[in-house]
Amino acid sequence: MRTMWLLLILAGCPSSPTPTGTTCADPDPITGTTTLTWDNFGHDFMFKYCTNCHSSSLPHSMRNGAPIYHDFDTLIGVVEVLDHVDAQTGWGPNAQNNFMPGGGTNGRCPSVAGGALDEACPEPTGEERTQLAQWLACEKLRPH
Amino acid sequence: MTSWIGVAILGLLAPAVAHADHHDMAMGGGHDTAFGAGVSLVAASYSTLDYIGNYQGVVPTLSWGSAAYSVGASFAMYRLETNGLERFGPGDFAVHGLLRLYHHEAVTTGVVLMVSAPTGDSVGGLGMGHPMAMPAAWGAWTYGHATMTASVGFDRAIVGSMSTHHDHGPWPLVEPMNMSELSWSGTCDIALGDGIHGGARMSGGVPVGEPGHDRVVGAARLAWGAGRVETAAELQVGLVGDPFTLRGLVETALHF
Repeated sequence: MRTMWLLLILAGCPSSPTPTGTTCADPDPITGTTTLTWDNFGHDFMFKYCTNCHSSSLPHSMRNGAPIYHDFDTLIGVVEVLDHVDAQTGWGPNAQNNFMPGGGTNGRCPSVAGGALDEACPEPTGEERTQLAQWLACEKLRPH
Repeated sequence: MTSWIGVAILGLLAPAVAHADHHDMAMGGGHDTAFGAGVSLVAASYSTLDYIGNYQGVVPTLSWGSAAYSVGASFAMYRLETNGLERFGPGDFAVHGLLRLYHHEAVTTGVVLMVSAPTGDSVGGLGMGHPMAMPAAWGAWTYGHATMTASVGFDRAIVGSMSTHHDHGPWPLVEPMNMSELSWSGTCDIALGDGIHGGARMSGGVPVGEPGHDRVVGAARLAWGAGRVETAAELQVGLVGDPFTLRGLVETALHF
């Protein structure tokens, strides 16, 4: 009986989204030259991995579970939930978060915006996840 | 989720029964013990800050005890639609123990402890993601054909803290509650004759010591019993905090 309770408790305690603790470094330590921005990194990352569900153009019924107001097709949309993105997808000194894309959909994603979950989610590389956290850490300091 | 434990109490402490905020108890005077087996069907629509959708659930319940004490368990299975995504899965497994402390003429008081295990998918909105302990005290007063019941409790995650989590509004979607909250309920049940009861209920939760959301639910209920079977239907409205927009519940239990 004790074992059953322990298993039940542990079943509900997966590793949780954790802030990566990444700080903004300039110049960027990865590229060595250019600080990451929406234009040279964020836009492409979001449109490659996120906006088929997280887009302001999608009504709630076509978001495949993505929360309303979590729209990453614009810079300001990302900035509004910046820490949340970091804790779900970023890699950094304190955590390597792999919850998104694919969290909550068993790793399935739509191949087109608002479509059915018809393919395995494209996975960002570790370098991309690290760059994401770097970009977000810098973007957090910029005026918007 | 956890609050479905109250449904298990239906068979032994009819007529008023707890569920959404799980503290409502109605009192009986008998000392005979009995088993109860029941099932509840629930359907709801909701619209929170981040999510819009609906869910349906089947909740088997088991209980044993008398009017003076009882134990029970419940385990819900849900279909949940969330912003266009459909999920199927269990809610949180829950058990309860209830003890009547005082019973004299029209007044009855007691305590109840409910505990849940996080078997529901907390990311998907089907579970809390933490074990919960929910002790409460209740009291009831009967006047003529009417029974007024009130309860107050403290619901708390046994481990973990919500303070660093991103807020997606009331959670889990199927049975929202706070990681740490003061819960309350008030019920009026009226015996209408021929085993039929009608009643109304208000219940809710207030976050304490952790971020959270206030919650108030109003409900109207009709219950009827025949022989060993108790059946009830309830219509619930989310009044504060978006626990749901509208929720319907039908439950039946067999005692033996």
